[in-house]
Amino acid sequence: MTTPEVAESRRNANSLMRHLPALRKTVGLVLLAALAFAFLVPILWMTVMSFQEGGKMFNLRTEWIPAVWHFENYPNAISRAPFVQYFINSGIVSVTVMAGNVVFCTLAGYGLAKFHFRGSGLVLLLILSTLMLPLEVTLVPTFLIVHKFEWINTYQGIVAPLLIDAFGVFLMRQSIISIPSDYIEAARIDGAGELRILLQIIVPQCLPALSVLAIFSFRDSWDQFLWPLTVVSIDRLRTYPLGLVQFGEEYGNPATEQMAIAVLATLPVFLLFMILQRSINRGFGLSGLK
Amino acid sequence: MVELTSSEPYQHGGLTGPPPVARRFWQIHHRQRIRLWGIAFVLPTLMFFAVFKYGPMMWAIELSFNSYDMVSTPYFVGLDNYRSLAADPIFRETLINTFVYIAGSTILTTVIGLSLALAINTGIPGARHCMTAMFLTNLMPIIAVCLVWRFLLHPYGLVNQILQPLGFGRIDWLTSSSTAMPAIIMVTVWRFAPYFMVIFLAALLALPEDYYEAAELDGAGAIRRFIHITLPLLMPTIFFVVVVSALLCARIFLMPYLITGGGPGNATRVLSMLIYETGFSYLKMGQAAAISVVLFTIMMVFTALQIRLFARSEQVYM
Repeated sequence: MTTPEVAESRRNANSLMRHLPALRKTVGLVLLAALAFAFLVPILWMTVMSFQEGGKMFNLRTEWIPAVWHFENYPNAISRAPFVQYFINSGIVSVTVMAGNVVFCTLAGYGLAKFHFRGSGLVLLLILSTLMLPLEVTLVPTFLIVHKFEWINTYQGIVAPLLIDAFGVFLMRQSIISIPSDYIEAARIDGAGELRILLQIIVPQCLPALSVLAIFSFRDSWDQFLWPLTVVSIDRLRTYPLGLVQFGEEYGNPATEQMAIAVLATLPVFLLFMILQRSINRGFGLSGLK
Repeated sequence: MVELTSSEPYQHGGLTGPPPVARRFWQIHHRQRIRLWGIAFVLPTLMFFAVFKYGPMMWAIELSFNSYDMVSTPYFVGLDNYRSLAADPIFRETLINTFVYIAGSTILTTVIGLSLALAINTGIPGARHCMTAMFLTNLMPIIAVCLVWRFLLHPYGLVNQILQPLGFGRIDWLTSSSTAMPAIIMVTVWRFAPYFMVIFLAALLALPEDYYEAAELDGAGAIRRFIHITLPLLMPTIFFVVVVSALLCARIFLMPYLITGGGPGNATRVLSMLIYETGFSYLKMGQAAAISVVLFTIMMVFTALQIRLFARSEQVYM
């Protein structure tokens, strides 16, 4: 085929794609929306049940619209156990872990992406291989180490083993590696210090990756159950997952109120996601999505 | 570049007596100084991992040859911990459960994650919002996931309410040993498939468009385009997703712990639960460390695969 012919047929193919029959588009959208809705059902169920009357959670037919909206489930649940304290504890832990990951993963990622010192390949390998050593694997000795530091039942004890994650280091390294080194060299010639280069040249260009890192490190520490369960034995330092499980085990606590706490626990993560959403999409490489 | 900086050129010897530390630092070659910065940036992370990853791992290996109950001093028992594990039917069952769980969850999350990504990538307007909605399952606190699904999988719960009109009987999802593991896997897929959907979607968006245009001109249908173009190009991503999913599933703890408590019997007990129970309920730290070493070995295989992938690809994954 000659070039104009190719261009012509391409244009036809494109216009065919663009002017997909409206019906097909609508059907596709309806199917897709139904699929997305199916995934959301458990989240909706949790939300509806948090407003339901105590006994109705175990009805043979799920009542999707409460006859009476029991908003008091929320204050009732919070008053039955020190959930305010639990949420504050979780907040302190999660924000610290998130900050730790953002700072140290950026530093290490930058160091591994743009500096070539002897053994830097080995260092990357050493860091990546910690992926096979999650807390679930090293639980017993990590507990013994934190015990040696006398950090049992302290905030630093809960936070310390979670502070840096190898995935974050790798994510930041991959993001920084694509920034042209010429920028860094030019800044050095202009006399900028290394820390200033990092803060003013590197960080602004890897905000999408940083957002991905922020949401995942926040979610992971907000979700953390096994480690606080192991290292905390006093009520004052419990994080909300421990409080919530205990709340469910205590006799007489309505399950609807458990759902209310679950909804409250979901909000911070969804909120952070909404704030960072645009940037997260770019971090994942989804900017081209319609 | 070196000449442009204010520092003096590096001087070999010639100085009488050691110069003050500060002066010597400034005399280090410009490039070397930059290199030192690089090391300084990496050092905190490396030290952290030495204390909280490699240290504990070494200690676990050492502990696995000892008997230790946290009260009396540990004493050497050789391979006794491993021998008693090999003879323990519960350990064997747990090990098999872990593999079944990893295999089942990984296969299903990969297939469903890819299918979802293909569905989103059809160019239907509004698909982006559907993707965001599905991704929320991955952000919901895992504890809330477990509590909600425990109710949904109740004999009178929503799952059975939906299935019954379709001709299914009432299934005792969590209390029957044949359905408990599939139920946990189902929850896992619900939780993780949308995450891998996002990774697949990023890979799909990065595929070169002209291949498809050429194939369309040649009259290849959608299915043939998928098999001959999309699938081969996606192979690295599929491999990546399989490995990451296996790593995630190998360490699963909370889902079986909260949804079934490892039951009925030991039907859903996995290695991480056994480590916690052996170590902190029975205070058999040496035995727990031996199980850790087993789990660590499993994870090492997947990690080695993953590092090979990382070495090859320049794509950013999380």
